[in-house]
Amino acid sequence: MSKKIITLLLAGVMMLSLAACGAKEAAPAPSAPSAPAASAPAAETTGLTEAFAESPILVTSGGQSADYQMIATVMGKVGMDYEVSNLCTSADLGDAKTLIIVVGGSSKGLGAAGIDADGELARLEELIAGAESAGLSIIAMHTGGEARRGDLSDKFITPIFEKADYAIVVTAGDEDGLMAGICANNSIPMDAIASISEVTTVLPAAFK
Amino acid sequence: MTKKNYISAALCLAVSIAIMISTSMNFLAAREVPMPEWGPSVTEVKMLSDWFDGLAGTNGDTPVYVLKGEKEGGAALVLGGTHANEPSGYMSAITFIETAVVEAGTIYVIPYTNHSAMTHNDPGEGNIQYFTINTQSGPRTFRFGSRATNPIDQWPDPDVYVHYPSNQQLSGSETRNINRGYPGRADGNLTERMAYGVAELIRAENVGITFDLHEASPEYPVINATVAHQDAMNIASEGCIELLLGGIDMSLEQSPTNFHGLTHRELGDYTDTMAILMETANASQGRLRGASSVEQVLGGLDRFYVINEDLGMLYVPFDESGHPIEERCGRHLQGVYEYISAYNNANPDDAILYSGVPGYAELFLMADPATLGGPHLGSYLK
Ligand SMILES: [Zn+2]
Repeated sequence: MSKKIITLLLAGVMMLSLAACGAKEAAPAPSAPSAPAASAPAAETTGLTEAFAESPILVTSGGQSADYQMIATVMGKVGMDYEVSNLCTSADLGDAKTLIIVVGGSSKGLGAAGIDADGELARLEELIAGAESAGLSIIAMHTGGEARRGDLSDKFITPIFEKADYAIVVTAGDEDGLMAGICANNSIPMDAIASISEVTTVLPAAFK
Repeated sequence: MTKKNYISAALCLAVSIAIMISTSMNFLAAREVPMPEWGPSVTEVKMLSDWFDGLAGTNGDTPVYVLKGEKEGGAALVLGGTHANEPSGYMSAITFIETAVVEAGTIYVIPYTNHSAMTHNDPGEGNIQYFTINTQSGPRTFRFGSRATNPIDQWPDPDVYVHYPSNQQLSGSETRNINRGYPGRADGNLTERMAYGVAELIRAENVGITFDLHEASPEYPVINATVAHQDAMNIASEGCIELLLGGIDMSLEQSPTNFHGLTHRELGDYTDTMAILMETANASQGRLRGASSVEQVLGGLDRFYVINEDLGMLYVPFDESGHPIEERCGRHLQGVYEYISAYNNANPDDAILYSGVPGYAELFLMADPATLGGPHLGSYLK
């Protein structure tokens, strides 16, 4: 009798293993989902009141998300002239008078650029130091919304926004008020916009 | 043996045979994959083996719908059903085939890129096998397949999958994932041969822009996103801005150079096409969902994802209205339209012009919410 039970059990186990052999591997676990913001703090920011920036313009990325390419495309659409380089250093500043850094971390973008997050941060710190000593205006932008928040993106936000002369932020990406807070604490004029389409009006208005 | 044993053995045998017969019929029936109806611009339906005869007679061969315009122009390719468990991909392709009026150029649409994957399910997932949509001609039933090639067509999997030609190593089960098999090879396994067939079509027909339509689980980070090969980034940026202006939340990613086998990497590297992949949010994929249901697939509804949204576990907003098939197909079809428009701006001599395909507004924004989850999409299908 016990032999029969064992045989049945073995047959059952065999069926189970057959039934599970086609299962695909587990989906990747979420690493850093952006949690919905509880409430926006009451950081008081002021918008830009007068044009301050000058051409030539150099556009770069802060974190290698493709948002810098989208901003470059928007600038092209409104007829602004610019150079764009996602991996530029202070050696590439040339005669630029304004540096636009479009912030947003992307692991795919970092992979595409062949650089890691720490290398990107080091590049940006060197670039910003070079731009400051050469007297460039720095515009920090965050236009990727909620998708460009989280551990990776946030790494780049503080060091870049703190050094900015002006900031443009799509509100969906700043529901926790991180960027508004940096701008308020450092007296940096910031325009909060509802969508990337408003870049077509606020960005040209910053240029003399 | 006693008589009693004979009777119980006979009974067990009869029950086993009954189970075998019913499951075999169910398994074999899945090989009948429902095909799109011919839309106004379909001029012919070819097979992928017409471009690469290494697929002829296999379950990896798949129909290619050719939509030709009156005027000369460029060529585009739309790949649906790369993953047969991502219904907005192939339902968008089917909607495109049945509605598009092509004015200039040629658009090739493959509704079931991995045809073999359409002919089975992932057993461990407890997925549904079929879903039905009420269309203009009455109820039509569509398949819900698997992420990977049917093991009956390609077996066994090696322990480690070594991608050709990069030698990248992945888990053995990825051997049957066509979106790890590009650019494919003529003498490879069936999945690699399917991928090679797609690349051959692109090379032979000078396809200027290629779309690969996917879905991902709401807990997967790359979602509501476009991934583009570096050569396609200018076009993708322009198209993405138009999508954002149209109220579609879309992020743009450049294809990593070091992740091999995917359309947005290898088709860009091994052909001259602009390779673009799009992802929508699929409530019937992923680990944090409830039991499989048609409501997940078509309604995009799942109460466990609503709970997980509150816990901050998801990468897309998720509430009680979910992400119906109309929203997901609307995103894909609007994406195809905007990226092709951007392609046309960059290649005015090779323009691809079409109309008639419902976009995000028609399929989702302007729809009566009561008709979402299948009926509204069905009203566009023949
Ligand atoms: Zn997929």
